[in-house]
Amino acid sequence: MDKNDTTTYSVQLYIYDLSRGMARNLSPIMLGKQLDGIWHSAIVVYGEEFYFGGVGISSCSPGGTMLGSPDTVVELGNTEVTEEIFMDYLSSLGENTYRGDKYRLFEHNCNTFTNEVAQFLTGRKIPSYITDLPSEVLSTPFGQILRPILDSIHIAPPGGNIINGRHS
Amino acid sequence: MADNGGADPVNNNNNTTVALEGTIIKVTVKTPKDKEEIAISEDASVTQFKEEISRRFKAKQDQLVLIFAGKILKDGDSLNQHGIKDGLTVHLVIKTAHKAGDGASSSSSGTTQVGSSSGNSSGPSSAAHPSTVGSTGGPASAPPQTPNLLTGFGGLSSLSSMGMGSANFMELQQQMQSQLMSNPEMLSQIMENPLVQNMMSNPDLMRQMIVANPQMQQLMERNPEISHMLNNPELMRQTMELARNPAMMQEMMRNQDRALSNLESIPGGYNALRRMYTDIQEPMFSAARDQFGNNPFSALGGNSDGGVQPSRTENREPLPNPWGSTNPSEGGGGTGTTGSSTTGSTTPSVSNPLGVNSASLGNGMFSSPGMQSLMQQISENPQLMQNMLSAPYMRSIMQSLAQNPDMASQNPASSPSAGENPAQQLMMQQMLQMFAGGNSSSQTPEVQFQQQLEQLGAMGFINREANLQALIATGGDVNAAIERLLGSQPS
Repeated sequence: MDKNDTTTYSVQLYIYDLSRGMARNLSPIMLGKQLDGIWHSAIVVYGEEFYFGGVGISSCSPGGTMLGSPDTVVELGNTEVTEEIFMDYLSSLGENTYRGDKYRLFEHNCNTFTNEVAQFLTGRKIPSYITDLPSEVLSTPFGQILRPILDSIHIAPPGGNIINGRHS
Repeated sequence: MADNGGADPVNNNNNTTVALEGTIIKVTVKTPKDKEEIAISEDASVTQFKEEISRRFKAKQDQLVLIFAGKILKDGDSLNQHGIKDGLTVHLVIKTAHKAGDGASSSSSGTTQVGSSSGNSSGPSSAAHPSTVGSTGGPASAPPQTPNLLTGFGGLSSLSSMGMGSANFMELQQQMQSQLMSNPEMLSQIMENPLVQNMMSNPDLMRQMIVANPQMQQLMERNPEISHMLNNPELMRQTMELARNPAMMQEMMRNQDRALSNLESIPGGYNALRRMYTDIQEPMFSAARDQFGNNPFSALGGNSDGGVQPSRTENREPLPNPWGSTNPSEGGGGTGTTGSSTTGSTTPSVSNPLGVNSASLGNGMFSSPGMQSLMQQISENPQLMQNMLSAPYMRSIMQSLAQNPDMASQNPASSPSAGENPAQQLMMQQMLQMFAGGNSSSQTPEVQFQQQLEQLGAMGFINREANLQALIATGGDVNAAIERLLGSQPS
């Protein structure tokens, strides 16, 4: 592949465990299977962190939400996409499938967003253990029972600003 | 530039690097709004591709930005060059002139705002006020979410608010711990909270919590006696009883410590004691401490030795008066025991080998602000509980819980502090009804516990009413019911 003199930007995936280790300890008891964490993820590129929550797409400085520093950082590679194009892209997303009210804890959550953005920027998907989490939980009887309640939960880590915030 | 090839599979183009003929591939073009499948020759150039796209998406070619595998497709490239094959997805962004300006300005304003909001967030989190969890610091977007979180279902929603609302859950725990130590009122408040007591009356749960601590696991490997002890349900139960009842615990510890210090006077006894302490208690103590975020060595200075050389004679000093003038707070303050220093910390003694501190136990699980406010809500609003319980899925939870009879009997009904509001009692009873309903097709308790009632009667507990109550509370467990009955009698 030829890379002329185009600048590339490095893209990273920040992974947070929302349960702070409790899932690792308690999931065998509660769910009957081992879950190492409740994963929330965000894309870090151009020196900013982008994530999707109950309020829509938000951005902040890397590690700048209330969650603090990520548990894991995955290098997704480089992208030629410039920030300008990327912001256009995000705005578009934020008006359509990633509006705040489109948030669904199981099917359309922060990790869905991160997966899509990662593919846009680098062509790679995020690690499957993150995207498999909802189905893992739902495959347990306890998860099934809790489903109606969980569906109403919106995760929105405070500490960021909403992009295109006309719909909060 | 190539001529417009249209939908014509064989492109008639002037692009020098591409052969005329090519198999048609279907490439998915995805925009933020939608996606389309575009058929194009696999040897086509990006320009041709864009032509096709501009037709389909009704946009000008120079507005199109195509991205594949992190690379921007330039007009001079060919699809082949980028490895675009049949079935793959190419991303498209349609530029609009003014959005470009917006993009730049929003990102720069984003950074400045972030600076101030992160400054805000560090402030309130250090204050650790329970009521502001979930709405501390962040921009205005956070508060609307909070009612959603807290009014949702208990465990997981408060889980997320626990995770979200503080910079670091562990930090929050530690803050609570230090707050607790300086405020014995809170300690007794927490202890009296029925949920805390329910949790602590379940030895299995406690055991699992303790075992889950990696330091404990290490300890257990080194000292198999410890795992022995953890596996002994009787001992665990006793320890739980102690933990639940601070006054009783103080009493027992005093006795034990006094007995221990008497042991010191036996020749060689001191050494034995010391060995016992260093081998077993100290690592366990620090493990338990670490788990609950305390300073592991804070009580070493003021432990049962009193930090002085043991005398070789029997200790004839009178027991210190916990209600003495130097000690205005009652047993709950924790300052009445021999040598035990800090409030809220507990020197391990033989009877209380883990140094179980009622405060820290309650702290560990349930005292985070999110959980507290949730519990408060539930206890203030039995209707909420009622609603929760009447949902069909709740019933199946109950049923599966009921299959584990220990949890069933311990959890909902063992509210030892009888002085709760009647609404809560009623709630507990109703929960039990559901259990009974789930299990044995709604017999009345009397019929259900027929056999146990007879047993109790035969043992001499003549108060049938009290027996029945006790049996209901313990879910039919005769032994536990007996303990309850004995405990409620004046001694």
